[in-house]
Amino acid sequence: MSERLGLSIRHHTGFTYDGLAKASYNEARMTPRSLSTQSVQTSKILVRPVIPVSTHVDYFGTVVTVFDIQENHPQLEVEATSQVESWAATLESPLGWSELRSERLTDRFSEFLLPTHRTTLVGTVEKEIEDWQNVADVHQCVEAASEYVRNEIAYVPGATTVSATAQEAWDRRKGVCQDITHVTIGLLRAMGIPARYVSGYLYPASEPTVGDVVEGQSHAWVEYFSGSWTGIDPTNGVRETERHIIVGHGRDYDDVAPLKGIYQGPASTQLGVVVEIRRTH
Amino acid sequence: MGVVFEDDVSGAWNEMFSAPGQPRPIYERLLADLNAYQPQELRLRSEQLAHTFIDRGVTFAHSGEERPFPLDLVPRILGALEWDRLSRGIAQRVRALEAFLADIYGEGRIFDEGLMPRRVVTSSPHFNRAAFGITPPNGVRITVAGIDLIRDEHGNFCVLEDNVRIPSGVSYVIENRRAMTQAFSALFSDHRVHPVDSYPSRLFAALLAAAPAKAQDPVIVVLSPGVFNAAYFEHVLLARMMGVELVEGRDLVCRSNHVYMRTTNGERAVHVIYRRVDDDWIDPLQFRPDTVIGVAGLVNAARAGNVVISNGIGNGVADDKLVYTFVPEFIRFYLGEKPLLDNIETHRLEDDEARAEVLGHLERYVVKPVDGSGGKGIVIGPQATKTELKALAKEVASAPRNFIAQRPVALSTHPTFVDESIVPRHIDLRPFAVNNGEEVWVLPGGLTRVALGAGELIVNSSRGGGSKDTWVLNDESIPFRGAVPPASARSRRYSGPPRQNDEYIFEQGEQ
Repeated sequence: MSERLGLSIRHHTGFTYDGLAKASYNEARMTPRSLSTQSVQTSKILVRPVIPVSTHVDYFGTVVTVFDIQENHPQLEVEATSQVESWAATLESPLGWSELRSERLTDRFSEFLLPTHRTTLVGTVEKEIEDWQNVADVHQCVEAASEYVRNEIAYVPGATTVSATAQEAWDRRKGVCQDITHVTIGLLRAMGIPARYVSGYLYPASEPTVGDVVEGQSHAWVEYFSGSWTGIDPTNGVRETERHIIVGHGRDYDDVAPLKGIYQGPASTQLGVVVEIRRTH
Repeated sequence: MGVVFEDDVSGAWNEMFSAPGQPRPIYERLLADLNAYQPQELRLRSEQLAHTFIDRGVTFAHSGEERPFPLDLVPRILGALEWDRLSRGIAQRVRALEAFLADIYGEGRIFDEGLMPRRVVTSSPHFNRAAFGITPPNGVRITVAGIDLIRDEHGNFCVLEDNVRIPSGVSYVIENRRAMTQAFSALFSDHRVHPVDSYPSRLFAALLAAAPAKAQDPVIVVLSPGVFNAAYFEHVLLARMMGVELVEGRDLVCRSNHVYMRTTNGERAVHVIYRRVDDDWIDPLQFRPDTVIGVAGLVNAARAGNVVISNGIGNGVADDKLVYTFVPEFIRFYLGEKPLLDNIETHRLEDDEARAEVLGHLERYVVKPVDGSGGKGIVIGPQATKTELKALAKEVASAPRNFIAQRPVALSTHPTFVDESIVPRHIDLRPFAVNNGEEVWVLPGGLTRVALGAGELIVNSSRGGGSKDTWVLNDESIPFRGAVPPASARSRRYSGPPRQNDEYIFEQGEQ
């Protein structure tokens, strides 16, 4: 049994405008939910300018906060805070390939097997897939794929934009966690392993100390189905740990973008994303 | 001298004649009435019909040009008994599609039961996950349905496709009737025809019934993409006849999940939106961000239960022609009933065996894109060139989910006035159904579309088709008390030059 981490998370993001914006409609996916590897004690979202918000759970099970701002405003800020207890999953023994490729499972997870425009990869990677498919153990196969992507794609912040596709990142062999995740998902799906995008946070300290506030990350990783959904973090070359806090799932980034919106007004600049995590116990 | 009816050699079911010269009983009186006109006179009436349409603005945009939608002067007649059967079949289909949409945007029981692969739905581009969790207050997602029917060679009506997104064409039903009663008032005094003018009040009542429960005095609007839309005339007509505002996206605004209409007297809350804007363009927050005809925030306002979008967001998945192949299953599973209307025999091309059969004999099949409307992309195997079939085979093999294959059905024909003679032309039927949550009402008749080119099987207006006024007779047993000439006397004048005995004199029968 792994360690249980108590974490207090503050995620701050937003936009500043070259002037005044109005008629701004937004959806924030910044609220962790209680799942099999985490329990959410409290969570709240604060929007500035201050306005009422509504929430619902979307198709993929992610909590969505909806709000609109009609008045002129020079800046939009969204701050999500939550108190979460997190622990690592135990690795279940995986299904065999034939079971994984059964009609029942391929149909049940069809939307995590089909490529999206974000995850589509063509050409070059097909040979690699051939090799890994000889690996009998699905976990080992996924680890090999994940390791391969981690070795091929250099983690270079700013090398890609938020709208990049797996193919673009692959061609450049550079990207951030979002890109590395998309490429890995693309490979796993091509092999017939259901794979989904996870948006969340990573508590970076390997030796976490109670009380210290550390700078965390808005992070992305992969879950694949091997009998149950199993997390792996190809960017860091590790499995999902108690330091990974899940916010939402989707087919790719577009299903779980932390903040998406539309507004009338001048160009905007994203405020730096700040994630602060304090270990509470 | 009467009108000459050209012989029907198509092998299709002729709606008017059971055999050359043998009119079906419900057409006897119409035939007699038409025989009283000289061909020149018919031409004049035909022109009168076209003028009425131009004057009233009943046009559609074709290749950038506004044209009147040609109204053929020979009406199509459906008997009361047949209509009763059809309308029950249509209503049944709408109820089943409602249940299906509620299921897939909810629990997904049909997948758990193994009656339909989940991937059929998840791979449909019209399965809008943003609609998940929107619960219509009275359960209605399909306020208006257009269920396209054709009659096969044996006279059986089959469903060609379901249209539960934003089916259009009902304005032509209303305008066709208006124009026909002006140009041929005599025909109507000879027939007891079900009126069609109650459609707008039925639609209004259904929209009212769809309103959120908390709306005290619900405000309904028609949302149109604007004057450049091909069906703008219809949007104007329905709004006017229902007595509600016609609005465009820029007239509406969402605030805190409520929708308001901007008026000269300030803002007014809106509760039901009869929208004629596609999902893709209706809410830039959820769908295409570049839309200029949508309303930001609309989908979340519907989710919050403050406004009803009608027809529902995400209905398009039910129009998918692969989903169509499962509708008989829906009827059995959700309603526990036996389908009253048949589908056309259809092959699902993701099935290896079916695909091999179809790809091996493409010249024997009609292949349709699952996503097409308006006859777009349909390849009729027996009429296609080798090159076309080759290209099609490649497309189908690379994306079998995107196509279905059907046996070619010779759509029934109906005598149609073309160039001063009356010739058989292929037709279909789009009845319109309105669901108010309590019952599904089907407008008597619907839009009969006619392919004006000889032998042409695609009837859509975008392909140069026209339409016919469609009559449902009030009473099956209209006694024809005129002196019916023996069938033999009429039968000879099907083709070739008219002969001496072409003239019939009918006595005016009693109604």
